[in-house]
Amino acid sequence: MTIKKIKASKTTAALLQFCAVLCIFLLSQQFLSMREPEMIYKGPGVTAVKMLSEYYSDIAGTAADTEVYVLKGEKPGPSMLVLGGTHPNEPSGFLAAILLIENVKPKEGTLYVVPRTNNSAFTCTDPQEGEPMRFTIETDNGPRWFRFGSRATNPVHQWPDPEIYIHASSGQRLSGSETRNINRSYPGRTDGTFTEKISFGVSEMIRKEGINITVDLHEASPEYPTINAIVAHEDAMELASQALINMQIEGMDISLEPSPKNLHGLTHRELGDYTDTLAVLMETSNPSQGRLRGRTDESLVVNGIDKFYEMADEYGRLYVPFDEKGHPIQERVARHITGIAQLASAYSELGLGGSLVIDGIPTYMDIAEGGLGSYLAHKQ
Amino acid sequence: MLYIYLGIILFLIIFILWNMFEEKDILAQIDAALVLVPLVLRLLLIK
Repeated sequence: MTIKKIKASKTTAALLQFCAVLCIFLLSQQFLSMREPEMIYKGPGVTAVKMLSEYYSDIAGTAADTEVYVLKGEKPGPSMLVLGGTHPNEPSGFLAAILLIENVKPKEGTLYVVPRTNNSAFTCTDPQEGEPMRFTIETDNGPRWFRFGSRATNPVHQWPDPEIYIHASSGQRLSGSETRNINRSYPGRTDGTFTEKISFGVSEMIRKEGINITVDLHEASPEYPTINAIVAHEDAMELASQALINMQIEGMDISLEPSPKNLHGLTHRELGDYTDTLAVLMETSNPSQGRLRGRTDESLVVNGIDKFYEMADEYGRLYVPFDEKGHPIQERVARHITGIAQLASAYSELGLGGSLVIDGIPTYMDIAEGGLGSYLAHKQ
Repeated sequence: MLYIYLGIILFLIIFILWNMFEEKDILAQIDAALVLVPLVLRLLLIK
């Protein structure tokens, strides 16, 4: 008996509607679980936990509001802001921010860390990408899960997208979906979209706290040209060059690129133009967001191993070497942490205004050689 | 803008529910039930 032979009636309609309600209930549980944040533990250096709404009150009580961890040193000095989770599908920046919060202690100067810059984007995944909703890192205290989110603000919080996104302060035109990409919305505005209000909050924080250096942590797919790189605003070029030299001396393969003057809405362009901070952005290689990847699961996110990227490397189609070892997350977090340490050190070396001395930053080798779990093992 | 969009979704859901009871083809009824799922999730601002 085929389905077509069943006679449609009011009873079948009611039964099907009941089935739909059941599906809606079960799916709701799964989707709503994305709104549950993972724990971030206050490390020895955390002196205060603020909310971004303390700098821009309009976002208070909304999904745009996010935690700002303040790590104030014993002695005054320059300040650095680290933005993790700008794009929650680029997890090494998010993990690097958490590692800083839970482990380091500034001696001189102040470190501000925002682990979930676009908090809303942590509450969903990108459609049609088949991405995991979370991933797990094995730590010394057992497995610990972290959220894997979307590149852009959750459409539940900002919808509908326009056909064309026009960047407010420059008039730059991009595809409509970029309207929810926070790294196309800087410096933000008070009468703008949900996403523009978050970036305005970040800009306000930099202005009100007088933050000297801003580091935005990102990842890119291995076939993207700007990868394993520091992108710096022209005002931050001297600082980034000094940090880059130190990183290369340590044996790290990394390049420096100037922030394009005609590409608007990004942190390295707009925060440099609209605030006094020295704005830089860092990129590592993340195969789980690339177009050439195979199965997208937790293993790809954490281990960064993908046979299709190995093939692409053999054909010379990538901008980073890619072998059977892939690009595991500990290597990517290690690159970010080393970059942050070297930027802090370069600021002091160049005599740009005091010393930013941060104790407890692990070295590249400490993290890259399998030590990430020990730095993310919460002590409480 | 969001509320206009949600109003359109509510309008569609009501018509789909009503149409299911009038529909004589079981496959069309199943289609309608499937369509309801994403629409209701969006109306409730869950997905």
